[in-house]
Amino acid sequence: MPKCQYINPEDVRKPGQIEFTPIPVNQYSKTVEEEKANFSNEDLVRIYHDMVVIREFETMLNLIKTRNEYNGVEYNHPGPAHLSIGQEAAAVGMAYTLDVDDFIFGSHRSHGEILAKGLSAIDKLDDETLEKIMETHFDGITLAPVKAGHTGTVKELAIKFLIYGTLAEVFARKTGFNKGLGGSMHAFFTPFGVYPNNAIVGGSADISVGAALYKKVNRKKGIVVANIGDASMACGPVWEGLSFATMDQFTELWEGDMKGGLPLVINIMNNQYGMGGQTCGETMGYDIAARIGAGVNTDQMHAERVDGYNPLAVIDAYKRKRKIIEEKRGPVLLDVLTYRYSGHSPSDASSYRSKEEVEAWEKQDSIEWFGKELVKAGVATKAELEAIKTATTDLITASMKLAINDEVSPHMDLEKQPNLIGEMMFSNQSIDKMEDREVEVNHPMEENPRVKQLAKKERFMFDKNGKPFSKIKTYGLRDGLFEAIIDRFYKDPTLIAYGEENRDWGGAFAVYRGLTEALPYNRLFNSPIAEAAIVGTAIGYAMCGGRVIPEIMYCDFLGRAGDEVFNQLPKWQAMSGNVLKMPMVIRVSVGSKYGAQHSQDWTALAAHIPGLKVVFPVSPYDAKGLMNTALQGTDPVIFFESQRLYDIGEQFHEGGVPEGYYEIPFGEPDIKREGKDVTILTIGATLYRTLDAAKTLEEKYNISAEVIDSRSLVPFNYEPVIESIKKTGRIVISGDASARGSFLRDLASNITELAFDYLDAPPVVVGSRNWITPAHELEDYFFPQAEWIIDAIHERILPLEGHVSSNDFTEAEQLDRNARGI
Amino acid sequence: MATPVIMPRQGQSVESCILGQWYKSVGDKVSEGDILFSYETDKSSFEEEAKEDGTLLATFFEEGDEIPVLVNVAVIGKEGESVEEFRPGGETVTEETTVEETVDEAPKVEEFEVEDNSPDKRIRISPLAKNMAAKLGLAIQSLKGSGPRGRIIARDVEMAAAKTVKTPTAQPQVQAAPKVAPAPAVVLEEGDDYEIKAIPNIRKLIATAMHQSLQNSAQLTHHMSADARKMMKLRKKFKKEFTEGTISQNVTINDLVCFAVIRALEKFPQVNTHYHGDKMKWFKKVHLGLAVDTDRGLMVPALKNADDLSITGLSSQLKQLSTAARSGNINPDLLNPAEATFTVSNLGNYGVEMFTPVINLPQVAILGVCTIVPRPKEIEDGVYAFVPMMGLSLTYDHQALDGGEATLFLAEIKNQIENLSV
Repeated sequence: MPKCQYINPEDVRKPGQIEFTPIPVNQYSKTVEEEKANFSNEDLVRIYHDMVVIREFETMLNLIKTRNEYNGVEYNHPGPAHLSIGQEAAAVGMAYTLDVDDFIFGSHRSHGEILAKGLSAIDKLDDETLEKIMETHFDGITLAPVKAGHTGTVKELAIKFLIYGTLAEVFARKTGFNKGLGGSMHAFFTPFGVYPNNAIVGGSADISVGAALYKKVNRKKGIVVANIGDASMACGPVWEGLSFATMDQFTELWEGDMKGGLPLVINIMNNQYGMGGQTCGETMGYDIAARIGAGVNTDQMHAERVDGYNPLAVIDAYKRKRKIIEEKRGPVLLDVLTYRYSGHSPSDASSYRSKEEVEAWEKQDSIEWFGKELVKAGVATKAELEAIKTATTDLITASMKLAINDEVSPHMDLEKQPNLIGEMMFSNQSIDKMEDREVEVNHPMEENPRVKQLAKKERFMFDKNGKPFSKIKTYGLRDGLFEAIIDRFYKDPTLIAYGEENRDWGGAFAVYRGLTEALPYNRLFNSPIAEAAIVGTAIGYAMCGGRVIPEIMYCDFLGRAGDEVFNQLPKWQAMSGNVLKMPMVIRVSVGSKYGAQHSQDWTALAAHIPGLKVVFPVSPYDAKGLMNTALQGTDPVIFFESQRLYDIGEQFHEGGVPEGYYEIPFGEPDIKREGKDVTILTIGATLYRTLDAAKTLEEKYNISAEVIDSRSLVPFNYEPVIESIKKTGRIVISGDASARGSFLRDLASNITELAFDYLDAPPVVVGSRNWITPAHELEDYFFPQAEWIIDAIHERILPLEGHVSSNDFTEAEQLDRNARGI
Repeated sequence: MATPVIMPRQGQSVESCILGQWYKSVGDKVSEGDILFSYETDKSSFEEEAKEDGTLLATFFEEGDEIPVLVNVAVIGKEGESVEEFRPGGETVTEETTVEETVDEAPKVEEFEVEDNSPDKRIRISPLAKNMAAKLGLAIQSLKGSGPRGRIIARDVEMAAAKTVKTPTAQPQVQAAPKVAPAPAVVLEEGDDYEIKAIPNIRKLIATAMHQSLQNSAQLTHHMSADARKMMKLRKKFKKEFTEGTISQNVTINDLVCFAVIRALEKFPQVNTHYHGDKMKWFKKVHLGLAVDTDRGLMVPALKNADDLSITGLSSQLKQLSTAARSGNINPDLLNPAEATFTVSNLGNYGVEMFTPVINLPQVAILGVCTIVPRPKEIEDGVYAFVPMMGLSLTYDHQALDGGEATLFLAEIKNQIENLSV
C-alpha cells in the first residue's frame, strides 16, 4: 500500500474492456535444412544423442521395473520410477540453450531433464572445471567408480559421471548425487545447474520463483526454469507462485537496476495427463495450458504453446524467451506439448487411454522423426545414428552394472553408523553472512528513526524501586526482535524479508517499524496474501544461498503453507545429502482475541516434522538472543511469537536487554523463577499466567514453584528440567496449544520416561481445551489460567490444604473428555 | 487345560512361605503378568504374577497361611474346568463350595478400576515416595497416602520418618575411660617359660566391651571394595597443596574415607543410630567414632557433629582427636561409645586386606577400612586394567539392620568414595 500509488476512483470506475493479445500455438515451422544456418552438424547430432541417452536411461529403468532385467543384467529396484519415455525432445530442447548458471527445477518425472541439463552443462564446461566439479563432489566418492578404468576424454568421463551419479541416486546408493537420500523423484546436481526435483505435484513452482528472486536480488547470472506438469496448474501453491512472480511492484516500485521482472520460465512439461486424469477434456478447463498466461498479468506471461515433439521448436522458443527475460520483462510461461508412452509409473496399466492413441504418438516419435530429418538433411548417416544408439546402450549398461554393484556403490551403512541420517538433518553452522559484499541500505543504522527511538527506551521493565515503567517507555519484545533483525540486515547482504504488510505498515504487529526507511524494496517488500508462496519462494531463495525471513502473520495461516512448511522446508538439507543449506527463519505470530481461526498455537505441528528447529521466546531478552541465533544459523527455524506479548518488557534478565549482539543457544530451557516444591514448565505466553499461579501457591499454600520457560521445542535439552524434578519431584506442563497431541504431551511423555524415579506424581498437562477458540470474552475458559494450574496441582499432584478447585481436573473428567473427543 | 499356580521357592533354604495378600479373587479374569498374591519368606516379601491368561478358578489358601514351597496355591484356567486334581494333599482346604459357586457364575462385567479404593488393591505410591521409603527402611504398607486418591506421596514418607525418629530415651552404657597412662604391668607369677601379668585397666575395659558386643548383638560383616583412584587423586592434590603451603592441613586417605562415610550416613539415617532392644535412637547429627591405636590400647574417641565439617576441618579435628587419644589427654567423655553414632576403624596402613571389626554398642555398625590392592576391573567394553581398589568391611548388628539395608549403605560408601567431591 505505498502512498505514491494513488487509486483514483475516476480512473478505476470508468467503463471499458480487457484486451488480450493472441497466444501463439505451435507456430514454429522451420525444417532442419533451414536451421542449418543456426546449428552446426555436431550440434544437431548432439541433440539427437542427448535424446537417445534419455530414452535408453528410461527404457532401462522401465525394464528393471517390469522385468527385473536390462540387457542381460538382473536387478530389482523397489523404489519409484516415473518415466518420461516420449518426452525427450521437450527436455533436450529446454536444456539445450541453457547455460551452466541457469537453474532448472523439476518434478517427480525429471530424469530426462536432469540428463538433458547435465549433458548441456558438460558440453559448455571446460575440462578443468569439469574435473574440479567431479573431484570435489563428496570428495570424489561419486566419481571414483566411473573414473576407475576410464580411458576416454574428460567430457566422456563427465557423461559417465552424470549417468552413474543419477542412477546411483535412483538406486539409493551412497555414491549417488545426493548420497541416495533423494532418490528417483528428487535427484539433482547443482554444479550442473540442476536444482531439486520435487515429488509433490507443482512443488517446484513457488520454489523456482524464489530461486529467480535470489538471482535478481543478488544480481546473479542466469535464469531459472520451473519444469512442472500440466496437471500441476490446478495446484494452489502453483497459482500463488505465479501471482508472486508477476507482482506489479517489480516494475512499478523496485528501483534502479532492480526494476523489472523475474528471470523465470514456468515451463509446463505438458504430457497431457496428470497420473490418469486427462487435463484437456477431463480434469482442467484451460484447453491449452498456455491460456493461463492471459489470466496472470498484462504481459500474459509472454505465454506460448510450443511443439515439444520437435527439439528445434523448443530451442527456438527458449532463444526468443531468453531475450525477453534479459530485457527484464519476465517471467515467461511456456506450454511445451509432449506425450509419455510409459505409464505414470510402472504400475500404471494405462486404463485411461486407448492403445491407438499411444501408437499414434509412437508413430510420431521425436527421436525417430528427428533422426530421419537429420539423414534427410545430410547432417548424419543412418549408420552414424545407429552407432550412437549402440554406444548409448553400452554406456547405460555399464553405468547400471556399476550402480547395482554393492561393493562399488554401497547403500549407507546405518548399522555401523546408526545416526548418519540424523546427523544430516541439520547443518548446524554459524555464519555471519551468506556472502561477503556491501550491504544495500538507505542510511547508517544509527540514523534509523526506530533505532534512535529505542535508545531512549528502558531496557528493563522495572525501575530501582521495582515499579514498572510506562508501556510507551518500555523496551518491548517487538523491539528485541527488531534489533536482532536490523542488525542482520546490516551484516548479511543476502538477507531479505517479506510477507503480508511488511513494508510501510512495518508488519501487522510493528516489529518491522523503521525497516522500510532503512531498506530498499528488493530487501523488504510486501508479498501477495499467499502463504504457500511466501514460504515456498523463501525456500527457493535459501536453497540458492540467500538468507531470508518470510513471515506468517497468524499461526493459523500455517496450514495455507502446509506443503511448504511440512514437505519442502524440513526435507531439503538431508534429502540433498547435505549439499543444500536452508538459512531461513519463518516468523509465525500466535494470536488471541480473534476467535477460532486467529488464535491457535500450532507449535506441535512444526515440532512434529523432523528437520525444523522450533523456538518460542516470550521475553525481550530471549526474543533478541534467539532471533540472533536463528539468523546466524543455516537451518530452517520456525520462530513463534505471541501477539499477547509484543509490548511486554524484560523482567527476568538482570540489567535488561543488552544493547550489543548476543546469542542464546537453541534448546536450552530457562528457569524464570526458582522454587523447590513443584516445577511448572511452560511453552509460550502461558509463562506469565504461570508466574501468577506460582505467586498464589507461595502466598496461599506455602508451596514454592519453580517455573521453567521451555523457550525452544526443537531441539530441547531435558536435563535442566530433570534436575528441577530431582529437587521438586513434581511437574505441571502448560501452554496455550489445545492439549490433545500438543508438544506439551510430548514433554510430559519424555519427562515420565526420563525422570520416573524422581516423580511424586505423574506429570500433568494443562493445555487449552480441545475446542474452537471462542471469542475474546470467553477465552479464559479456553486458554490455561493461573487457577487451572493450581487446580491441577491440587487434584492430580499434591492436595493443597483448604483449596477448592473451580475446574475439573479429575481423572474421571479426563477419561470422559477423551472418550467424547473433546 | 487348567494350570496350577505353585508357591515358588525363593532360595534353597526356604521351606515355606506366608501368603500375604490376594490381589485376585476366584472368578476374576487374569492376564499374564497380573499380580496374583504376595507372600513372604523370613527375609523378604515377593509378588507372584500370573504366568498365563485365564480365570482364577480356585485358591487353596487364605491370607496368612503358611504354605510349603512348590505346593499348589491356586488354579488358572477356563471357566468350568476341574480343579480338584490340583488341590494340595487333601488337608485343610475349606470353603470349596463357595469356590465352585463363584466359578459357575456368568462372566463378570469388566469394569474400569479407577475408582476402586478398597484396601486389598495394590498400594498406590509415587516412585519418589517408594524410593524414599526404601532408603529410610520404612514399610510402605504402614504408610498412609495423602496424595490424589490416596496415593502415598513424598510428604507422607517424610512425616512417617519424622515420627520414627522421635524421643530416644535409652541410657547409654557408660564406660569408664582411662585417665592416666598405664603403669607397667605387674607380674603376678613367674614360671620357667612364662610369667603371668596383671591386665591393665584399659585392657579390661576393652575386653569387657568387646565381649559384650559379641554377646549382645547379632554381628556379621559384609565386604566390598571401592575404586580408589578418585580418592588417591584427591590425596595427591591435597598433599601438593600442603607442601606448597596453600592449605595448612595434610588431608589423609583416612580423612577422605571418613568424609565419604559421613555423606553416606546422611543418606542412610537408619545406620546413624543406637539400638536399644525395643527402640532405636535416631541421630540428627553424625558423631563419628575413630578407632585409634595407642600405646595404652585401642581407643575410640568421638568427633561430635562431624557432618558439619569441611574436608579440611574434618581432617584437622580428626588429627587433634587422635593426637589427644595417643597422648592421653583426651576428654574421657568422648571415649564413651554412646557418644559416637558410627565408628570407622582403619587398618589399611597395616596392609590388612579384610577383617571383621567389632561394633561399639550401642552403635549399630562399624566400618573397617582395608588396604588398597590393585585389582582387575573392566574399564570399557571388554578392556580390563588393574585399578587400585580399597577394601571396605562393614560389620552391622542384624538386630537393627537388615542385610539389604546394610549392603545398600556399604554400596553408598563405595559410591561416595568413587565419586567423592570435597
